[in-house]
Amino acid sequence: MALTLQQVIFLALAVVVIGAALFVVTTRNLFRAALMLVLSFFAVAGFYVLLDAGLFAVAQILIYIGAISILIIFSVMLTRGMQAMIPRNSQAFWSAVVVAIIFAMLLLLLGPLRTTVNVAAWPIIGSIFPNATPRELGAVPWAYAVEPATGLPAVVPETYIATFGFSLVDINQYVLPFLLVALLVDIALSGAVHIARQRRPIEVIQERQDIAAEDAAEAEAIRNAQQPAPVPAPALPEGAVAAATSAANEH
Amino acid sequence: MDLFANALNGIPLWWFLVVSAALFCIGLYGVMARKNAIAMLMGVELMLNAVNINLIAFWRFIAPNSPSGLAFAAFVFVIAAAEAAIGLALIISVYRSNQSIDPEKLDQMKL
Repeated sequence: MALTLQQVIFLALAVVVIGAALFVVTTRNLFRAALMLVLSFFAVAGFYVLLDAGLFAVAQILIYIGAISILIIFSVMLTRGMQAMIPRNSQAFWSAVVVAIIFAMLLLLLGPLRTTVNVAAWPIIGSIFPNATPRELGAVPWAYAVEPATGLPAVVPETYIATFGFSLVDINQYVLPFLLVALLVDIALSGAVHIARQRRPIEVIQERQDIAAEDAAEAEAIRNAQQPAPVPAPALPEGAVAAATSAANEH
Repeated sequence: MDLFANALNGIPLWWFLVVSAALFCIGLYGVMARKNAIAMLMGVELMLNAVNINLIAFWRFIAPNSPSGLAFAAFVFVIAAAEAAIGLALIISVYRSNQSIDPEKLDQMKL
């Protein structure tokens, strides 16, 4: 079977994506990991082009490569000394096992994606659930969008970007999530500025003193609460009681 | 087989799904097994990319006339940007106070 040009491009992109991603999660050098992450983002943008979503390929390059990668690279540079690191923690082996199991399950679930598949003939899942229907295994009764005349995949309408843009501001579609996401970005960015702000040492000292004072006050309150209530003295002259009360108030 | 039908220029839907599943799993491994908070965030970015490939592939093959898939993909983009900004700000802040971003050493909030 001769490969079409698009298939060749897809396979090349897939090799780049998977290879770069594996490099990202295994390398010792954090800076190289960040650069390989950029390569992986580029290849994902290539997938979007293959899927006729050019808008998202551009957005991928602008947002992921232009913004997120730069943020990551800056953070790598700002945390010097952490670059050459031990790449794996103690649970790396079991993480790999768990991830491999999850991947195998995802691949097996590709089988009954369509409701028409014969479950009994499907490997492993078919032998575990020979009598299950595809719907019981999570199959979704979707249908591929096809051109009725030819049976080929439906073409993306020319106006898909306009349709997408209108859906974001259409009161019957996604205007509420759109506004919430806008609010989320707003809060996230101002929060990020606040968290990462370099405070002057005097402010830090002041803050620590405030916290220490609060802690001391809290401990004092707890100690007072734990003390047994003072037993009222049976017979004291009038003046002594008044003096004791005023002394306690002053304290 | 059914999955092989309906290929876009020779590429069936399941090719995209396999690549995206692999990318998701690699990202998950990165989150679970790395000893550096920035590397863990990189794993999260890989996972979000895998989700976006899935969303746009399903949009293209199942519902190219509806904007839903694109809208969700756009929300994922925005949330990824917000997550990266907050996460990296936290990491830099932690690095300033601890001189380390090893997640196993961050235990000041333990009782």
